[in-house]
Amino acid sequence: MSAVEKCPRTEAISALVDDALAEPARAALDAHVAGCPICAPVLTEFRQLRTTFAALPDVGPKVDFAFLVDRRIAAAGVPKPKSKPQRWRWWQLAPATLGGAVSLSLGAYLGGALVLGSQATAQPAALQMAAFTATPPGALCPALQTCNSMGH
Amino acid sequence: MIDTLASEDDLARRAQAGNGQAFSELVRRHQRPVHRYLLRLLGSHDDAMELTQEAFIKAWQALPQWRPEAQFRTWLFRIANNSALDALRHRKLVEFVPLEDSFDAPSSEPSPEHQAQLTQEVRQLEANLKKLAPEHRQILLLREVEEMSYEEIASVLSLNEGTVKSRLARARTALIEIRARSQS
Repeated sequence: MSAVEKCPRTEAISALVDDALAEPARAALDAHVAGCPICAPVLTEFRQLRTTFAALPDVGPKVDFAFLVDRRIAAAGVPKPKSKPQRWRWWQLAPATLGGAVSLSLGAYLGGALVLGSQATAQPAALQMAAFTATPPGALCPALQTCNSMGH
Repeated sequence: MIDTLASEDDLARRAQAGNGQAFSELVRRHQRPVHRYLLRLLGSHDDAMELTQEAFIKAWQALPQWRPEAQFRTWLFRIANNSALDALRHRKLVEFVPLEDSFDAPSSEPSPEHQAQLTQEVRQLEANLKKLAPEHRQILLLREVEEMSYEEIASVLSLNEGTVKSRLARARTALIEIRARSQS
């Protein structure tokens, strides 16, 4: 059985090679591998693999795919991409809904204040009209019974 | 006229609106990595040529579904990868062809002995890659050759990052075991 097959930490060592292990796990694994006869060769193997991959020749195309693709799209009559009509989503209506609710609340509040205000101003007017009643002002009731019958 | 310095997102948005020139610029930017990935994955120059074109045509048709939140590169690689997997399933493309005809020496200048050893290892790696299961080959190529992060690989292969991490470890282990068997 090879070291790679025996090693219980291949996943962590692989992540270590990819620099994808966060601290403190990285430091702990580094310390373990340094003294482990099973894990140390695995780390060396994985690093060696990276070096060999990095030496793979770059196999670039010798043609311009933009030209080929453009020609094939034109020849096959592939239609131009068309954006789908935008779908309404609930959160897109949120600002309008909020604005509407605020407007309604404000309208109700102002309307209520107007009604209450007119009632408040109506009372002094009624009091003013009392000056034209048959009862003279200044509590000069000719007779107490007369005043009482008029609601004073 | 297309600005060759335009950002990828900008080009993708313009291509999405039907601008063919913007799409051609995107093809030029990505043709080399997409072709390289497909060639290494499929091991056939003809199939890599065909599937690279197919991937770009599919991308053109699928552009309305692309969203700026997704990296254009990983989105494109996902399309190319799915095309390659379909090809592997339907055409049973499992045989690699030797890539010696396009072999170039690595750019660094090691000693002649080290250079010879490295060349031998590279040839061995190319031979061993063809014996690897496709899902191991694709994840190793995305990580080691295309240098994608775990997050990007997860996006291309529609996996979670934990699976990417474990599958990479298994792929490396499998490749080392193949090498050990071929040497013994």
